[in-house]
Parts: sequence; structure tokens; C-alpha cells
Amino acid sequence: MRQFSLIFLLVISVIHTLAVDKNNFKTCDQASFCKRSRSVQHERSPFEVNIDTLIVNPNYINVDLTNKHNGQIFDLKLEGIKGNTFHFEIDEKSPLKPRYRVVDALKGEPTYEAIKVTATGSDITVKCGENKVIIYATPFKLEFYQNDVLTISANSKAKMHFEHLRRKQEAPPPPENENEQNENEAQDQNQDEPGTWEENFKSHHDIKPNGPSAVALDFTFHQANILFGIPEHADSFALKTTVGNGDPYRLYNLDVFEYELNSRMALYGSIPVVYGHGHKSTSGIYWQNAAETWVDIAGTASEQNVMESIVSFVAGSRQQDAPSAHFISESGIIDVFVVLGPSPNDAFKQYTALTGSGNLPQMFAIGYHQCRWNYNDQQDVMQVATKFDEHDIPMDTMWLDIEYTDSKKYFTWDHQKFPNAVEMMKNLTNMGRHLTFIIDPHIKRDSGYFFHNDCTDRGYYIKNKDGKDYEGWCWPGSASYPDFFDPEIRKYYADQYLLENFKENSRDTGIWNDMNEPSVFNGPEITMPKDNLHYGGWEHRDVHNLYGQMQLVGTFDGLLRRAENELRPFILTRAHFSGTQRYAAVWTGDNAAEWGHLEASIPMCLSLSVAGISFCGADIGGFFGNPETELLYRWYQTGAFIPFFRAHAHIDTKRREPWLYPDDVKLIIRDAIRKRYSFLPLWYTMFYEHERSGLPIMRPLLSQYPLDKNAYNIDNQFMLSDKLLIRPVMQKGASKVDVYFPSRNGDKQADIWYDIDDYRKIERVGVESVTVNTYKVPVYQRGGTIIPRKMRIRRSAILMENDPITLIVAVDSDKRAKGTLYIDDEKSFAYRQGKYLYIEFEFIDGVLSSQLIDETASYTTKVWLERVIIVGLDKVPSSATLRASNNQATQVDIIDASKTAFTIRKPGVSLMEPTWSITLNY
Amino acid sequence: MRLPICLSIIIGFLSCAVLCDKPILRGIDPSRAQLYANKNDKFTCFDGKKTIKYTQLNDDYCDCEDASDEPGTSACTNGRFHCVNPGHKSLVIPSSRVNDGICDCCDASDEYFSRANCINNCIELGSADRIREKQMAELVKNGNQIRLELSQKGKKQKEEQRLRMADLEKSRDQADKLREEKRQIKIDVENLESDALDVYRKAEDEIRKQREQEEAVNSRQEAEETFAKYDSNKDGKVDIIELQTRVVFDRNRNGEVEIEEARYFLDDNDALELEGFLTLAWPKMKPFLMLDSGLFKPPTRGDQPADEGEDGEEQEAHENNDDPAEEAELLNEETENVDEQHDENNEEEEDEEGHDDHDHEPEQQQPPPVQYDDETQRIIEEANEARNQYDVADREFRELDTELNNIRKVLEKDFGPEEEFAPLNGECFNFEDREYVYKLCMFDKATQQPKSGGSETRLGNWDGWRGNDYRQMLYANGAGCWNGPARSVMVDIDCGLDTRILSVTEPNRCEYNYRIQTPAACFTSSTNEVHDEL
Repeated sequence: MRQFSLIFLLVISVIHTLAVDKNNFKTCDQASFCKRSRSVQHERSPFEVNIDTLIVNPNYINVDLTNKHNGQIFDLKLEGIKGNTFHFEIDEKSPLKPRYRVVDALKGEPTYEAIKVTATGSDITVKCGENKVIIYATPFKLEFYQNDVLTISANSKAKMHFEHLRRKQEAPPPPENENEQNENEAQDQNQDEPGTWEENFKSHHDIKPNGPSAVALDFTFHQANILFGIPEHADSFALKTTVGNGDPYRLYNLDVFEYELNSRMALYGSIPVVYGHGHKSTSGIYWQNAAETWVDIAGTASEQNVMESIVSFVAGSRQQDAPSAHFISESGIIDVFVVLGPSPNDAFKQYTALTGSGNLPQMFAIGYHQCRWNYNDQQDVMQVATKFDEHDIPMDTMWLDIEYTDSKKYFTWDHQKFPNAVEMMKNLTNMGRHLTFIIDPHIKRDSGYFFHNDCTDRGYYIKNKDGKDYEGWCWPGSASYPDFFDPEIRKYYADQYLLENFKENSRDTGIWNDMNEPSVFNGPEITMPKDNLHYGGWEHRDVHNLYGQMQLVGTFDGLLRRAENELRPFILTRAHFSGTQRYAAVWTGDNAAEWGHLEASIPMCLSLSVAGISFCGADIGGFFGNPETELLYRWYQTGAFIPFFRAHAHIDTKRREPWLYPDDVKLIIRDAIRKRYSFLPLWYTMFYEHERSGLPIMRPLLSQYPLDKNAYNIDNQFMLSDKLLIRPVMQKGASKVDVYFPSRNGDKQADIWYDIDDYRKIERVGVESVTVNTYKVPVYQRGGTIIPRKMRIRRSAILMENDPITLIVAVDSDKRAKGTLYIDDEKSFAYRQGKYLYIEFEFIDGVLSSQLIDETASYTTKVWLERVIIVGLDKVPSSATLRASNNQATQVDIIDASKTAFTIRKPGVSLMEPTWSITLNY
Repeated sequence: MRLPICLSIIIGFLSCAVLCDKPILRGIDPSRAQLYANKNDKFTCFDGKKTIKYTQLNDDYCDCEDASDEPGTSACTNGRFHCVNPGHKSLVIPSSRVNDGICDCCDASDEYFSRANCINNCIELGSADRIREKQMAELVKNGNQIRLELSQKGKKQKEEQRLRMADLEKSRDQADKLREEKRQIKIDVENLESDALDVYRKAEDEIRKQREQEEAVNSRQEAEETFAKYDSNKDGKVDIIELQTRVVFDRNRNGEVEIEEARYFLDDNDALELEGFLTLAWPKMKPFLMLDSGLFKPPTRGDQPADEGEDGEEQEAHENNDDPAEEAELLNEETENVDEQHDENNEEEEDEEGHDDHDHEPEQQQPPPVQYDDETQRIIEEANEARNQYDVADREFRELDTELNNIRKVLEKDFGPEEEFAPLNGECFNFEDREYVYKLCMFDKATQQPKSGGSETRLGNWDGWRGNDYRQMLYANGAGCWNGPARSVMVDIDCGLDTRILSVTEPNRCEYNYRIQTPAACFTSSTNEVHDEL
């Protein structure tokens, strides 16, 4: 077995032609703070709580914490937040200078909840609702209880580490007793080791004027079998053990050229939220820190022991320690939100309650996006758009990568290639389509460029360590980077989107913010030096992972104001952080045309989804390289069921528009895209419900089946909302795929599933081998749900606005089903003023009824009910009776009856009807 | 109350769709109207799979799998809508474009229930279209005239070439005969020459052997002397320590002879006795000793003007070289390299220029000046004369043969159904954009040259026609792209009154697209038919 896999690995490494250059990126050992913090080993933590200093407030407490090794005093603040959430912060009591606190990630001030505090000589108990925290004084430890069950503890592995700010060559304070002296000395030696006061990486020198400033803390998830979260990594959904097994997971926004799969290396975005899940409960930790962060995982299945752990799961014996996550950040403070679930969806909601959910996008944004680096000119753009019509393939958005600009100067056009950009946008709009173009954060240093001159004159650029405008190298050549942390600069940047400033723009073009990690070709690790300086005097070190998000704040503001706050902005970003979902969709960056990358797109988007970012997708076809045709159409079929649906390709690849392939391939791709469009009403409803509830759209199986241990590690299939189960075909030459049907109770209790193509019924727990032809995407509707679709596929999503709805009613074992439909103008913010319809459908006892969930909301629509397909009933009715709000009864026909389904033909009722029902007549 | 009214409006509309304005015929090609005649209030789908109520025709619900019941609505995903477009050409569009808010039919018939305010502009568009078609027809007609002229010219050219070819074939055959004769004479005389020279050759060999023997003796003597010199402690062995005192062996010029350096010269031995020294060490030492005493000169810059840069680099490499073994090899190979490089250069020239007469360049190695007797001298001169005569005859033949081959190649090219492209053969056309001048030499090559200066890049060589209608040419196998394929150009050809390049694009990296116009492509429908038969 081992030999076989060795050979397999060899073969893989020979075939694999693209590869990241790992030398460009640091290992934990090369980042001195990571090395220091990771090696912290204490028998017992030197931190102790001084219970005498406890101050109790209605929603929070403050208490001092002392590091017994050096006498440093810290302030611990702990507060209760509505929805099974606690927040605590640890900062120096009186630091030499303030330490950075992240303020731009949360959507606003959390809703605090009253606490009850009791203190003894050795601990403090803080109760909040049904939950409590016990703060142990000596040594310091936090235990979080959800409904009296110990769920999470902090510092129980004594990994807490807090490097107080100091002056260089500060003398160590006298040790308090003999016993601790050795340990103490060891620690101070640590802090004088190379890398503490300056650090080199390759040819780059980091002056580190503030010296060591790391913070670290360990969290143990007592009820968990697996951990997941902390995107972005090209790795499995379930986190692997990294302690004693290579580097920790790294969170540091980086532009990684030809990134590698199955890797804990950092990628474009960083969301420091980790969840622990077990059959009893789910909980999570949001480590709010924007500096470079490493997360060392223990007690979960590592690559080596994944088989063993599955065996032990099955055997029900968990001999391993409870899984733990050790967070290590280079600077800032310890700032932690603890979400206690208890269900997976509760935990996800609690996280988005803090950081926000994604705004409902415009309808066009959830259609199909056609991108390439680059469509060469105006004619090229129009030709490609026209070809989609010629081949009757829906498409909503044409994209322009960097080559549309005049020499990579953003907010300008190359007029040779695009003599009339406004006309081009208008031509697209006339056909129901949109344009999205790119605006990157690097600004060309060109004295003929207004943006550069303004930034230079007004001091808008990020400064280097000497206070001069920092100059790096990116697409335009020599470039500088606006400091988006400064509100004045953000406003200046946002103003550039206004039509009065940028005339070759329209109210409704999408914007693509790429390279915003930021990518600096000649910088350390292809990004900005950490000793660069930002607004407020903060070092880049403190804020790095937030930089891209701050650009998005500006872009979002600009797009809002560009359309007088009427239209919902559409933005795509590569860099991301906690809260990015409030501004933009995220794609998984520069992937490759390889089957492995197609597979990776699912765990990557699942991890982003549970970390708040539902609007996620991967480049269809793979960015680098030329996909073989089978890979390309399988990728389209997969992408059609992932929230952000865009094809994109590198400039050196061959064109891959569907009609450039033989007819049979083109038709498969066309079918996949059209399938996407037929589900747009469901997608739109799911996006609305995401905004409303904060729940992810794309979900791991465990969100719906938390008791099924066999489902925890599955990341080649996923759910959309709680309705569809998707298992895309992602293997070359596959004629069968294994689909896992999960268990409701951790045993044999199954849901009923219906194949969306032929309504074949599956009612079992376990793996079923499903035959697939070239067209087949195994997708199953869960019994008990009602899904809205539109079967008339138009040129673009927005042209389907008035088209009638088809409802697919799939019944559960009680012959019941429920579903929702959301309708509004598909583009404006009028829905926030109650201009919408949010409808609930219910099927009970042979009656399908409809009512408005929000009765105060209203919207005038032409949408009507074209057909209802009822799936899973044993008997076919003879007819059906429609009763609308005027209580008139209309007879409707039953047609197309098969063993599993029948159709109610053309009820014709308007979906504006506040209530109606259809009764089946037997 | 408001909502039910809206509902009744919709239901009202739907019934109107069935009852008023002959909507049942909506979207139907009038010539197929009888297929939709009412037969007993029933309608059978064209595929025969289903019979539905006649009122279900165009009722905005798709009943027939083949979409035949909904020609006038968007209900069927696979349906087709026919717009009559009076005043203009009729049009068939996918059903999905009915009432989608975009005016597809100029008679506005596709948007009968939509937010789009389409106006009927068929008359306007139709007449504009007819004018355009007329202009197009005019263009093709005029262009076709020119094409026919080109065709005549092309046919004439071909005919002339055929005639010329026949002439050439005759001349060449004669030249071939003459060459054969001259070759025979040359062979005969050369045999005589060879015999005569044999005598001298043997004598030369003798002398050479003698010289070699002397050299060997000298060399042994020199080696023995050197051995004696290096064997400073006179123990009958030369060892490492002894060699380390000889600065001549400091090959890396770091000021000392390292143990490795010394060992190298001892052929990896710690010490060698005389015989070992002679066979193993001496051959290694000799070049260095010669170099040291100035007898052996490695090639210098002056000797290789063509490769100055490279040579400089190599020299530098030598100086930094730590391994004496490698260095010695390099030294020995250097002279060979020079020759090889020359050869390569020659080959390249040959490739480019074809059959130039290289063999008859002045001999590079001058024969040693030997005094022959009169008879031998006479034979040599006779042989030289015979060689010259053969060369002249051979050149004559080859020139004729080359011309013949060129004509044959031209005749083999496909210049269109009526040779209309033949006059364009070899003609070049330029197109400039912001950065480049693009060139197309018909049936030859396509190139690109940066306007900022810099060398021309070959985008492709004539490969052939694509498709079977003489509308597309491929120029393939151009210069290779970094990290990509060889460049290529697809040329799309339109009819026009003159020949020129209209646009150049690069839809894929290194795959170019030229759009050109030429009267040679102005085929009228009759010529197309001719062509189709081909």
C-alpha cells in the first residue's frame, strides 16, 4: 500500500508541471516570531490572574493578568455578546506605545448581553445567558461552557505568549524566585536571538523598530472531532494536524504564483476563524488580528493518520486529545470572539452576526461571467458577446483584465483598443449584459498620471521606513500604493469611480480589485515590507491582512455613490479578511487547468463560506495552462453549482470560449450554463436568505447532518442551503462517481433524495455509485423541500426577470415539503425599503399553499406560476384546484405523470397574490 | 383589492393571446400556416407524440416536446419564432428571445408583451439592407471583373512558366550530359595525377614518420630531464610535495600548488616512478609546461572576431576554474571549437542561401610546397584544368536545375480555382498598428517588425489554404514563442477592389489573424458553383 502510494506520488510529481517556488515564502522557522512562539513549552503557564483587581460592569469585566516570569501586567477584558458569544481581549496594562487593534472587520458594535459574575479565591465565573466562562487564576486558563458543557478552553496547553513592547537591550527584571529563574532566562535569551530586533529574508531587511511583539494563545475544542476554517488554503476542508508535522497553517495575504495543492502555505486571503465540530456541538474561535498569523493544529487527523482516525471514528473510540488550535500573531493584541453554537449553523450565524453577511447581489452577478486576460479590444468584446447569442448560450457579464488601461494606469482606457468604451458598455447593456473591469491598488509612478500626481502631492501613498513614498514593482513597472486605511484617501479613491471624474464608466459596471494583498513583485514574499508605515503611524506589519479589505471599503463607497446609492455594487476581490463579505465576492485566485484544482475549488469555497464569504468561486477551466476538453466541461458543470460562476484564463493560454470546441463539447458546456440559469430563482433566494440569516449558501454536509461522523471529512460534495446535495464529477474519464448520502441521526436514518434530472428517489445512508455520462452532474433535491426554478433560459439573467416560475415540490417521508422564493427588482436597494416579495410555500396533505413571510413588504411583478412538479407521491391526482385570494376556484390539469413525479399544468397564478393554494384532487 | 386586479389583467392577457389578433398564427412562417389549421379543436404535435386542445396553441405553456405548439411564445426552450418582417427579410429567432425586452424582429412582432418599446422599422432597414446588398453585389461584380483579369494573367503566367519549364528541362538535360563528359575526363586525369603523386606521398610519409620518432625520443628525453628536475630528493620518485614547489602547476593561480592540483598531475597518485611518470604524468604536464614556456598558445580574442563576447566569458570562466582537469580539457578543446563554430556558420549560410558553390572556395589548407618533376607538374596542371571544366559544367547544370525546381514549386501552388491568386504570388503588403509593421508576402511568409526598431519576427510561412472556398490561408511554423507555440497567421480573405490588409489581431498568444481584401476573392455565385465542383 505504501509502496503503491510512493509510486503514485512520483508519477504525480513528474506530471505536475506547474509548481510554486517555495523559496519565495517563509517557513515558520524563518519568521522569528513564529519560531519563538511555536516553541513555547511550559509545565504551567506563567500567566496568573490577580483576582483582587476584578472590576465588574453590566456587560463585561476587567481583571489584571501578570506574567510571573517578568512581572509584566496585562489587562483582560471579557464580555458577553448576544447569541452564545463571548469576547475577550488581553493587552498590556501600560504598553510603551499603543498596540494595534483591528476595528474594520466587525460590521459594527456587537450586541452585548448582561453577565453575572461570581469570584472565589481561585477563579471567576462569568455567566451569560445559558453559558458561562470560568477564569482560573493560577495558572491562567479560560473555560467556556455552552449550557454547562465544557466546549472551549484557552491556555489549557499553556502556550499563551505575549511579547510586551520594550526598549532595545532592556534589562530583565529580577526573577521572583529561584525555581522560575531558569525558565525566565531561557525566555529572555529567546527574545534576544536573531530576528527579534531586525530580520532578513532573502535580500530583504526588516528593521523591526518595535522589536518583538508577538501574541499567541492556544484553544482546545473539547467537544470536537474535527476542526475547519481559517481560509485561505489550498487544502482539505478538515484541518490537519500540524504539530510535529511540518509548518502550521499560515494566514498572510500573499500573491502566490502557481500555488500548490494540499498545502498549509498562505494564499491571497486570511480569515482567522476556526470551528470545532463534534456530534454534540459546534463552536468557534475568531482570532481578530490583521498581522501575519500562524495556526498550529493538534489532535485532528493529519495526512498520515487520516485512515486511523476514520477507523477510530467508526469504532467510536477517540483516543486522541481534543483538537486544539494554537494562534500565533506577529503583533497586535489578543482579541478573541468565542462562538458556542451549539449547532454548526448556529456557530456560522454567530460569526456573521459579528462580521456581517454578504449583501444580496444584483441578479446579473449570479449569472455566468465570461473573463479572460485579456479581451483585446472593443471589437473583441462585442464579438465574444455576440457569439454567445449566436450559439444561444446565456452570459451576463463580459470582463476586462488589465490590458484595457492606458499603460496599466487605472481609471484610464487605452483608446487605441477601446476608442469608445461608453458605447461598448451601452451595447452590452442593450443586450441585457454588463461589463466588469479591473482596478488594482498599485499606482503607476508616471508624472503624466493624475492619480499618481494627486497621491504624491497629497501624501496619499504608503510610506517606507524612512517616511518616503514606498516604491514597489508591479504590472505598471514602478508603482506606489495608496494608504486605504486613511479615510481621506479612501474617499479620494472612491471619488474616482464617480461618473463626473471617470467618464468612461457607467452606473452599473462591476469592479474587480485584484493584486490587493498587496502584490509587490520585488517585495519580500511578493508583498510589502513590514516596516512600511501607514495612517496613524501603524506599521504594515500590524495591518497587512486588512489592506485589501480597506481598498474594498473605498471601492464599495465609490460604486454606491456612482449610482446615487440606488444600485447594489458588484465587486470581486482576491485578497480578503474577516468582513470582506460585506463588500465583495471572492475567487480563489490563480489556479491551474488541472483536475486537482477543480477538486480543490470545493473545499476552498466551503472554507470561505463558513468564514462568512458565501459569494465564492474558482476560475472555470483553471487560470494557468490549457484544460483538456473533459476537464473544461466538468469544471463548467461544477461551477454551475458554486455561487460565483466565472470562466477566466491566463494571457498565454489558448482561447476557450465554448464555441471553439467541437459541437458535442460546446453543447455540454451550454447545457451546464443553462442549468445554472434554470436555478437562478433558487440562487437569488439563497443569496437573500444569506444576507438575512448570515448562513452560508454553500455548506459542508455536517451543517445539515451534524451527527453523521462519516460526513465530517467529506469535501468533494456539498450542499446548497439545506436543499440540494451536489457531487460534481471531478475525475478524468469517470463513468461512475460515489455519492455519499448522509445520515440524520448518525445511524441509519436517511433523508429522501431526488435526482434533479429524472426525479429518481434515493432513500439510504451511505455511498451509492452513480453512473454518469458527459452531461450528468449528480445533484439531489432533499425530500421536504420546494425549489423555485425558471425553465425559460434567456440570453442573460436579467432578461428572465418577468418569466414564470416552476416549483419543484419534493416530499419527505411525511409527504410534506417547504420552500421559499424571493422576488424584487433584481438590482436596486429598494428591497431595503420593503420593495420585495418573500414567499413561503408549504405542501401538506396534498395541498400546496403560498403565503408572504414579510406581509408588510410588497413588490409589483409580472412573475406567475407556470407549473408545479410534485415529486415523490405514490398516487397521481386526477386534477388540481387553484384557489387564489379572491377564493375563486379554478381547475388545473395534471400532466406528464410518471412513477415518481407529475406536473400541475399552468396554474397561472401571479406570485403577487398574497395567499393561494393548490389542492390535489384524487 | 389591487392584487386580484393585476391577476385578472394577466389572465385577461393570456386569454387575449388565444383569442384576439390571430395570435394563434403568431410566430409562424405564413407558408406553414395550414399546419396550424383547427381540426376538431385539436392539435397534434408535429412529432406526433401528443394531441392537445386547439386552445393550447400559443397559450404560453409548452405542451409539445418538439415545441410545435408554441411558435409564438417563449414557453418552449427549443422553440423557434418566425418574424415576417414585411419590407425586410423574414427572420427566425429562438423562442427565448420572444418578449425578453430586446427588439430582435424589425417588425417588433417578438416583443408583443414586453417593456421594450419596439417600433416597426422593417421598411427602413429593408431598404438600407437592399442598398447594402446592391452595393455588395456591385462590389463583387466589379471585383469579379478584376478577378477575371487576374485569372487571365495568372493563367498566362502559368502557361509561360510551363513553356519555360519545358525549355529548361531540355537545357538541363544537355547540361547534364556535358557535365557527365567532363566528369569522366576529370576522373581519368585525376587517376593519372594520383599515381604520379603517390611517389611523392610515400616519400613524405617516410619523412613524417622519421620526424615523429625524433619527436618521441626528444619528448622522452625532455620527460626524463623533467623527472630528474622534479625529483628534488632524488629518491627515484616524483611526489606531491615535490610538485607543490613548482608554481607552473598552480592552475587556479591562487599562489600555491594545492594537493589536489599536484595529485591531478600525478594522475591521482601520491608519487610516481619514472615509467609511471612518463606514461601517466607527462601527457598531463606537457601542455601546461608548453603554455608556461610560451610554446603553446590558446586562441586569443584576435583569432575569433565573430565570437568575442562568448570568448571573453570563457576566458573568465577559466580563470575562476578550480578544477585543473577541466581546465586542461578546455585548453585542448579550444582549438577544435573554433573550427566547429566555423563549420556551423557555414552550414547556416548554406541553409539560407541554398545551393551556393561552397566547395570551390579557396582551399583553406595550403599544400606543402613540394618540388615535382616536369612530367608530374604537367599532369597536375592537366588535372586542374579538367577540374575547372567540370566545375563550370556542374555549376551550369545546377543553376538550371534550381530554376527548374523554383518554377515547379510555383506551378504546384494552388492559386485558386482560376489561377486568380497567381499574380499575387510573392507580392508583399504592409499593415501598421501602434507598435508594429505587419507584412504579408503572399504564398511566402508573414512577418512582424517593431516600429521602435528591432529585428523582424517571422510569424509564419505559407502552409496552404484552409477550408475549401479560398477564403482562408494559413501561414504556419513562424518563430517559436517563449513558453508557447510557434507563431502562426490565419488570413481571412474578403472581396475588395484592391489588395490590402484590413486588420491584424492576435486572438491567442502568438496566433495572429490578418483580415485582407483582394479582387481575387470576388467570386460571383457562378464562379462559386464552378469552384464547388472542383
